[in-house]
Amino acid sequence: MPMNRILNERVFVLLGLFLVGAGLYASTFQQTFTAGVAAQSPVFFPRIILTLWMGLALIALVQTMQRTEANAPVASWSRLGLLIVASVIYTNVIGREGFFIPSVIFAAISLPIFGVRNPLLVALYAIAVPGALVLFFNHMLSMPLPVSRFTHLF
Amino acid sequence: MNFKAVAGIVASAFIATTAVADDAFPERPINLIAPFNAGGGTDLLLRGFAPHFAEAIGGEAFVSNMAGGSGTVAASALQGQRPDGYQLGYFSITVSTIQPQIKNVPYGVDSWTPICSVAASPTLLFTNADTPYMTAQDVVDAANANPGELVYGSSGPGAMTHLTTVAAFAGLGILDKLKHLPFQGSGPAVKELTAGTIQFFGDTEILMSRGDFRPLMVFNNERLETYPDVPTATEVGIEPPLNELYLWGGLFAPAGLEPEVTAKLEAACEAAVNSEGFQEFAANSGTVINFRGAEEFEAFFRQQYEANGALIEAAGL
Amino acid sequence: MLSALPDAIAILLTFEGLLVLVMGTVLGIVLGAMPGIGSTVAVAMVLPFTLTMGQAPAILLLLAVYAGSVYGGSIAAILINTPGTPQSAATCLDGYPMAQRGEAGLALGWATVASVIGGLVSAIVLIFAAPQLAAFALEFGPIETFALILLGMTCIVSVSTGSVIKGLLAGMIGIFLSTVGGDPIIGEMRFTFDNWQLFAGFNLLAVVIGVFALSEVLMRASAKLSQTSELIDFKGVKLPSLAMWKGRYKNLGKSVLIGNLIGVLPGTGAATAAFISYAEGRRSSPNGDKYGTGEPDGIVSSEAANNAVTGGALVPTMALGIPGDAITAVMLATLTLHGITPGPKLVEDNPTLIAAIFAGFFIINLLLLPLGILLSRVAAPILRVREAYMMTAIVLLCAVGVYFVRGNPFDLLVMGAAGVVGFILRRQGFPMAPLVIGMVLGPTLEITLRQGLILTDGNFFAFFTGHPIALVLGVTAVIALLFPFIRHQLARRQTV
Repeated sequence: MPMNRILNERVFVLLGLFLVGAGLYASTFQQTFTAGVAAQSPVFFPRIILTLWMGLALIALVQTMQRTEANAPVASWSRLGLLIVASVIYTNVIGREGFFIPSVIFAAISLPIFGVRNPLLVALYAIAVPGALVLFFNHMLSMPLPVSRFTHLF
Repeated sequence: MNFKAVAGIVASAFIATTAVADDAFPERPINLIAPFNAGGGTDLLLRGFAPHFAEAIGGEAFVSNMAGGSGTVAASALQGQRPDGYQLGYFSITVSTIQPQIKNVPYGVDSWTPICSVAASPTLLFTNADTPYMTAQDVVDAANANPGELVYGSSGPGAMTHLTTVAAFAGLGILDKLKHLPFQGSGPAVKELTAGTIQFFGDTEILMSRGDFRPLMVFNNERLETYPDVPTATEVGIEPPLNELYLWGGLFAPAGLEPEVTAKLEAACEAAVNSEGFQEFAANSGTVINFRGAEEFEAFFRQQYEANGALIEAAGL
Repeated sequence: MLSALPDAIAILLTFEGLLVLVMGTVLGIVLGAMPGIGSTVAVAMVLPFTLTMGQAPAILLLLAVYAGSVYGGSIAAILINTPGTPQSAATCLDGYPMAQRGEAGLALGWATVASVIGGLVSAIVLIFAAPQLAAFALEFGPIETFALILLGMTCIVSVSTGSVIKGLLAGMIGIFLSTVGGDPIIGEMRFTFDNWQLFAGFNLLAVVIGVFALSEVLMRASAKLSQTSELIDFKGVKLPSLAMWKGRYKNLGKSVLIGNLIGVLPGTGAATAAFISYAEGRRSSPNGDKYGTGEPDGIVSSEAANNAVTGGALVPTMALGIPGDAITAVMLATLTLHGITPGPKLVEDNPTLIAAIFAGFFIINLLLLPLGILLSRVAAPILRVREAYMMTAIVLLCAVGVYFVRGNPFDLLVMGAAGVVGFILRRQGFPMAPLVIGMVLGPTLEITLRQGLILTDGNFFAFFTGHPIALVLGVTAVIALLFPFIRHQLARRQTV
């Protein structure tokens, strides 16, 4: 990452936070809420909080631009990026595809990311750990995790 | 295990579950969905009901929880499911008839195949035992004398507790002379009733008996055996449709369930409700059993949906 | 009720009674120690079993699992920086830095002793002072609660390691997240953009597990690969010696007291107590300056308070029939199921049962010490597995834990998003504890503020004029907020 006072990760994130806060604040005027004084208005409290949010984000932004601090270096952006994408997809698909199959696939991606290269170990772990969880919750406790579209067994 | 073997198992399981043969229903466990957290009143009722239901239907049944949004999250999710009879929700009056009329949820009166009703308890309006309000007339006089002084509580906007108080005070014509103070759940509200921050609260008998409270009226068609001196809402001059209010609940499947499956579920529900075990459970937990079959329950449900519209309007929701 | 104690102890000292207590505590510790799995899931897992049990064993099993899981949560918080519940979040602040220093066993030792003492004292208080404390709880109306929560909010400043501004901003994000969904006063939907899944708001646990546990996994993925888990020198709990306690008794006592009092107030909870106690410890402990860097007093502040809450929360439950928190609500429902009506006459009508519950609660807290030590020995080798296996397991367990909180797959999506956002914010030096505080306290802050405004007809100043408790708490909140700045100024003047 380039060490620039204005164009760096910290500034972007804080600017993003400020804009999100401002967008949410603006949205309180677009939605049709019942008009009411203070306690009766649904947006009374959120507006106070969002005002503080925007103010604090601006202060933090100014502070950050006055300093040159670097974030912790990332050892490998590709490994990190892959894990982030895998995590987001994984948490998204469990509801539709069940717990077992996405978990096997996630484990098979995550283990190599953290450095396990032996395919046998990866396969063994990726099947055994989610399998044990499904066996325990779905079949021993009758407290089922989501199941796939193929069968109610896993 | 090689790929072929796994594929074989997956395929056979797939065929077994999708081939719908009505005679064979149920072929796999039936999921009874409680739209609230594990350990709550609805959840425990369903957990007491499930074993007897399973026995009656000759299969397995388990309870799962899907909590949030005053029960609307579970109902919204169930509404989109395939109507195969393996997913049933236990919904109360508020989840099935109130919430869809005050929130923009994806379900409404036509989204369901009602199976059976299980329980129904009338609600009561009550006050703390140390307040000077002995009758509904005392409340009317006090509210007229000092508008804006008296406060009634609820467990949240649109909850049964809210509708009970609204039915009472709107029926008595003094709704705008009292303040409404909503809480997050019945617990904090009952605490403030004890402490005197609020003067009135409305809920079922079982909750009222938890504290030292005085009932002012009951929203039933007749007086309660346990409180023979407490007048019904009709007796204190509250007109229909605000005069009767029951916290009822029953099993619902998504709309379009095959009649054969509905009949099987209905029969199992009836057998379970009448089973000795469940009757004993209900007596212990203070549940008022009220069984209605599929057809009767559907008519009742649709009538309630209509009638509660008036209540929602009165509450300004 | 004391006269019923011998009978009650006779119930407990049967084979079945002891079995329930030991098994429940073990199960609770094991489940609580798993990252992502917290008290809620642990209780939900044993609930079906309680339905077929007798009155006393059913309640004791729930209590044992709950107390065990609260303690177990501190293990995950200290060793791998992944609290499964919000109440352990404050324990991370000093526990994890201590573990990183190579003092994992000792950090856990402090947590164990503080937990046990917090729990035991709260059990004694419960047995002897429940009616008096219940009367105290009734003094706390919406306005007093608002002032207390305001005071609680000031601890955002104390737990903001690094930048106070960023801590406050994280706190605001947390409060904002808690406002999404139905408005608590009139029921209108806010910030849901017509998505019915958002009608129920963001689930607290999904966000907490996302920003702590999942983001921790991502943090480790962004660092260099490690062949083993970082904390290989953990061999089991190492109890602090008596000499090490010197000068720390006052902090311990204060923390237990805070936990007890906050536990008594319905609707506040263990996380609030842990954070307020942590903030107070940081202000008043002689080691306050070192909070956040692996200071034992920080662990003691948090753990003694969050365990003392359990006993406190039983006070309104037993004396008034009003649940003090989520777990006591489950217990009340279980009692109802067994034909017992909770209410002001609960203790009067069922003296033996209630005495058995109180005494059982005492025994559970005694059991935490030996069982905690034993289980941590057994668990120590697990922590030596490769980081890869550990991190992958954490993600899977978090998914399981979050799913079972509400049974809603949407919460998993929230966890995933919270994990990524949490990771990005942590990289910029944002502390995550304030976000959790904001989300925990936000709903109560809003509803009590608006309730207060309804009661006073919109006059905010009437909050403090007619309510002496609120006035005291409010003034304390202002002082607490300004204290760091005052101290900073004083220190500067002295050096000049």
